[in-house]
Amino acid sequence: MSEENDRLRWQLKGLRQDTPPRRDLWPEIAARIAELPQTAEIAPGQQDRPSRGFPWSRAASRGADASSVRTGARRLAPWAMAASMLLAIGFLWQATHLTPPQEPLIRQEAAQLTRDYQGALAQIQGAEAHPELGGALQELDRSAEEILAALDRAPNTRFLLEQLRRTYAKRLALTQRAMMS
Amino acid sequence: MLNAAVTDLMTDTTALAAAETDNGLVRAAVGGDMRAFEAIYRRHVGRIHGVIQRLVGGQGVRADDLTQEAFVRAWQALPQFRFESAFSTWLHRLAVNTALMELRSRRSQPLFDENEDRLDDLGMADSAGHHTALSLDLERAVATLPPRARAVLVLYDVEGWKHEEIAGELGMAVGSSKAQLHRARQLLRERLGVEA
Repeated sequence: MSEENDRLRWQLKGLRQDTPPRRDLWPEIAARIAELPQTAEIAPGQQDRPSRGFPWSRAASRGADASSVRTGARRLAPWAMAASMLLAIGFLWQATHLTPPQEPLIRQEAAQLTRDYQGALAQIQGAEAHPELGGALQELDRSAEEILAALDRAPNTRFLLEQLRRTYAKRLALTQRAMMS
Repeated sequence: MLNAAVTDLMTDTTALAAAETDNGLVRAAVGGDMRAFEAIYRRHVGRIHGVIQRLVGGQGVRADDLTQEAFVRAWQALPQFRFESAFSTWLHRLAVNTALMELRSRRSQPLFDENEDRLDDLGMADSAGHHTALSLDLERAVATLPPRARAVLVLYDVEGWKHEEIAGELGMAVGSSKAQLHRARQLLRERLGVEA
């Protein structure tokens, strides 16, 4: 038993390998960086490590608490800014056909997603009263609201958008199931 | 003996040179040099994507999204890097933090853990359809573990973290981290057909 356990742990250590993504993520990263505010807001006395816990939520609410802000946003060198902007513009054009710049792209996508979702849901109303699934539907609604609130605080966070998409998909699937049962 | 000492020395020298290169790139990137930050990305993306992929269970798009997120966060946090530790360690921890943050946010979804835990009851077939220990891919078995158990197992057994560090990152008690590890190993052994 112990020998098997030891072997398993050695095998697990062997999993620590580099695995590059299947596509180049750099253009999208550069585009997102170019979208960031270009003002320096570096908090003094920061430690030499990413903070413990989940500091990202604090970074997302920059401006709310200057002592905990960790945006690190800074002014790009002019040529770098130009290159980044070119990348960003190309990327945004492909993604949105030049949507208005006043609202971050991902938040706009989330708003559009919510409109589509509400349109789809309007076609299949009545599932909320389902005796078994009604509670789960309400919980999914609450989750979606929490994700939207998080997107308001951090409007450039793509994984929140993906999470919202999954939540809406689950809600619609469950609604359909409730209507059919 | 001598060969081992020479090899160790060469490894140390290589690591030192890599750290120096990283530090130079970080200084340039802090000054706004995007080419330097791209070089940082190219040097570290394999390692960062690797650990994120292991933590989230090898899901391609999700791991890609989180890798992007980690590098954007790194760009934002870079001015706070004080060169007191290895940059690669700092970046690695930031990436883990990013993946765990997402993992924690998913707990608010009511069906998530329930669905994940249902996998406990499923047999895992390999590509040939056999439920055998020998043919089951370890990485795939790890990927099917419930999210929190997987995160603890990956951080402890694969990445070599301590329970105190894991508990701090996951916002749980040290005892819970140990319990999750025990559960994860047990599930893994079951799926691999190893007797506990």
